[in-house]
Amino acid sequence: MIRTLFPFTAVLGQEKIKNALIWNLINPRIGGVLISGEKGTAKSTLVRGVAELGDTKIIELPLNVTEDRLVGAIDLKQALQNGRRELEAGILRDADGNVLYVDEVNLLSDHIVNALLEVAASGVNTVEREGISCSHPSRFILIGSMNQEEGKLRSQFLDRFGLYVEVEGEKDLSMRVEIMKRRVAFETNPLRFIKDCADETRDLTARINAAQTRLPAVEVTSNAHRFAAMLAHGVHSAGHRGELALIETAKAIAALDGRGMLNIDDIKQAAEYALPHRTQEPPQDDFCQEPPEEALPEEDVSPPEQEQNQAQDQAQDENPPPEAQPPPDTTPPEMDNADQADGADNEDEDDIQEAGEAFIIPRWTDAHVTRQINKGSGRRNLVRSGTNQGRYVNHRMAGSERVSDLAFDATVRAAAPFQSIRDKAGRALAIERDDLRVKIREKRTGGSILFVVDASASMGANKRMKEVKAAILSMLNVSYQKRDKVGLIAFRKDSAELLLGITRSVDLAQKKLSQLPTGGKTPLSQGLDLAYEVLMGLKIKDPDAVPTLVLISDGRASGKKAPGSNPFGEALKSAERIGNQGINTIILDTENDFIKFRLCEKLNEKLRGTLLTMEDMKADGIVEAITAIRRTT
Amino acid sequence: MEQTKKGYCFTAIVGQDDMKTALILNVINPNLGGVLIRGEKGTAKSTAVRALAELLPERTQVADCRFGCAPDDKAHMCGECLEKRANDKTLAQSLAKMKVVDLPVSATEDRVVGTLDMEHAIKTGEKKFETGILAGANRNILYVDEVNLLDDHVVDVLLDSAAMGVNTVEREGVSYTHPARFILVGTMNPEEGDLRPQLIDRFALSVTVIGERDIEKRVMVMENRLKYEDDPAQFFEEFEPMQQALRDRIKTAEGLLGKVTYSSKILEKIAKICITLDVDGHRADIVMLKTAMTLAAYHGRTEVTEADVMEAAKLTLPHRMRRNPFEDAVLDLSQIADI
Repeated sequence: MIRTLFPFTAVLGQEKIKNALIWNLINPRIGGVLISGEKGTAKSTLVRGVAELGDTKIIELPLNVTEDRLVGAIDLKQALQNGRRELEAGILRDADGNVLYVDEVNLLSDHIVNALLEVAASGVNTVEREGISCSHPSRFILIGSMNQEEGKLRSQFLDRFGLYVEVEGEKDLSMRVEIMKRRVAFETNPLRFIKDCADETRDLTARINAAQTRLPAVEVTSNAHRFAAMLAHGVHSAGHRGELALIETAKAIAALDGRGMLNIDDIKQAAEYALPHRTQEPPQDDFCQEPPEEALPEEDVSPPEQEQNQAQDQAQDENPPPEAQPPPDTTPPEMDNADQADGADNEDEDDIQEAGEAFIIPRWTDAHVTRQINKGSGRRNLVRSGTNQGRYVNHRMAGSERVSDLAFDATVRAAAPFQSIRDKAGRALAIERDDLRVKIREKRTGGSILFVVDASASMGANKRMKEVKAAILSMLNVSYQKRDKVGLIAFRKDSAELLLGITRSVDLAQKKLSQLPTGGKTPLSQGLDLAYEVLMGLKIKDPDAVPTLVLISDGRASGKKAPGSNPFGEALKSAERIGNQGINTIILDTENDFIKFRLCEKLNEKLRGTLLTMEDMKADGIVEAITAIRRTT
Repeated sequence: MEQTKKGYCFTAIVGQDDMKTALILNVINPNLGGVLIRGEKGTAKSTAVRALAELLPERTQVADCRFGCAPDDKAHMCGECLEKRANDKTLAQSLAKMKVVDLPVSATEDRVVGTLDMEHAIKTGEKKFETGILAGANRNILYVDEVNLLDDHVVDVLLDSAAMGVNTVEREGVSYTHPARFILVGTMNPEEGDLRPQLIDRFALSVTVIGERDIEKRVMVMENRLKYEDDPAQFFEEFEPMQQALRDRIKTAEGLLGKVTYSSKILEKIAKICITLDVDGHRADIVMLKTAMTLAAYHGRTEVTEADVMEAAKLTLPHRMRRNPFEDAVLDLSQIADI
């Protein structure tokens, strides 16, 4: 079918996207562009519109692509009819010399990203599958667009894009009016609208073609190289892709402008596009205004791991690095809290503390999920699915297991070359056990996180609950982005209560949390027992779920289950039962008294989880805590 | 993909005017972009969507086309029809009603987007594309009940098709692209979780329904329902005049829609509203204008009025207000009343 696309030249504003796309067409060595921005800002309209500007085709990579279509697979017809194994090329062959476009690129499955990265790096697609062994060139302009609300790109992938553009909607009234007019005109009669823009489209195409011709002649002096390197160093850009993209972009700018020589403004302008996503500090508006006085010393090159972490921080939206975050508000409460202050002293009175200010924490659950599934790339929100749910990304041989999730296409491909020599006994296709392939599926589930909160009177003391609520709120913020399911148990007075069953509504969890009162005794073991029941129930319902228990407590237990027993001992027993099930546990130790009993450490021996203190949560210590866990996997 | 059976009478639904208007506007103008209906259990959300089927207009389509292409709409035609058109110059036509196509929450991805035709592959060794739900939904209403419970990877697929009107399949050995321009209608109970921000934005309109609080109206709800259960045939007969009146109104509005004009003042008002409320991107502006135009047609006019814009704002903005998680973002119409 033909695609009726809104013309590139009819899009108003969004000059940055337009520039980046045009430069890439002129000079494919720039290495593509990643466009990030809010919804409805003509991101994909512009990318798709590029198809009309010259001979470059836009090859789209749909999110639900399977690997066989990406890299290529055995040609079924050839195999069946002639028994020959030949490659039926996939998207990567089509993309050679063209634009490869991934919309919502941050939602692409890891499996596909890995395959893509490999080819993007080498420019060659090597196919080793289904008895085929071959390779072909695959050099493409990689263009991605995304909305950061749904998660970030991993740094390795981010660096692969030559340029980075961030966009937002036009704020100018007359522009907005014109945008509406054009869109409605387009929708009323698309073909006419496209025709009306034909002249502009032709002009732009001619300019691009002329620039393409001129490009090889554009001279780059060693001064220009030095300036580019200085700019890249100045923002602590990791690796050398930054300055290379920068120079290639500057060349395209000069070529488009009809010049044979780079000038300083070309490089400065190029830097605005080539460096932001490689900057290891938050991009500043003026970062490319003045070159630094002296280039940074050689030893500035960071070790790879650190590099990656930093780049990841950079990738985290515009969130400043953790250390730049204000700690949760621990200043004395305002007057409306005055009447709550004594709640701590009276065990029977309820005290509702507001949450302190939430702070931004790094992906705090990455670590433990990695440990749990212990395979794949460890991105928490991608879990290899063991059941027939999730996205089919690839296939594997069935082996001797009972086949329940047959990858039919792959099975037929596997059987195809043998059809001419097999005894078909009247069947259309003879399939043998060895041919059977089953699907590998990837499921983007968030985790299921059950918060178990100590809401006893002691938590009301020193406004501790305020801090705890802030901590949980921070975790919920992450959960909201990752689409985790969350639940909430509070234990206080004489019992534990399931305030919220495991649900997708993180919103609701936040509401329940803000209303959570403190007061009464501390039935810790009951809280743990209830958590155990909930999590075991969850495991039955959804075997793929990777539940996490987050216990927020100072480890103290009080109240009696039976006369004569000791509450902490009970709690240890409950903890052991959870530990034995291998449930992921994180304990947030809220003990902040001068004399510490370190009860949570004892609990953790039984729970076999990760013990964090409030300070860990606040400071960048949590990064270290997570990194440490990661190393042990 | 089965067509929803004759359910309740749309006109017998008591109250819930916003929901009814939003649905009808989408029928009048299929390019509007769908509606998200949020509300507690038992507020006739699904009933209304299913009852809509009875009111849907009849249209011409290319006979035997898997995607029900419009014979005169070259811009959105599938590859097969285009080819036929190029070869034979004419396309055989047939009449068909617009349908409500169900997308069950349990639907697997291959059923949604389509997949390799297994039977054909075994018999002939050739690959053929077997269409999925999105193919059947082209030019129809795609209805997702409990849309907030849809699997993420199915949502991803919907996002693109809903925005572009095209379904691109590159999986299981098949490579295929076909038109998938559907009216996306979703219902959900917010208590069971949120919708992803990306998907929310794909719905042009949103309405929140609550159970009727008025005793009289509640009684009427019960009476109508009992009538329906006692004797459906009689029930349909009783409401037929009202149904027919609504069908006629829709038809008239469809005819008027192409003639609706707007002044630059109207455009400015819309832009100002969106700037004031700091809505993401430009989709809200465009949708609000289209909604106001459709409203004008629905009210039998060919000129968009300021009142249309305000009514459109009420339908197009509530789900676009929230910018941060946990924000209690509500649309405050008084904020924009003076614009």
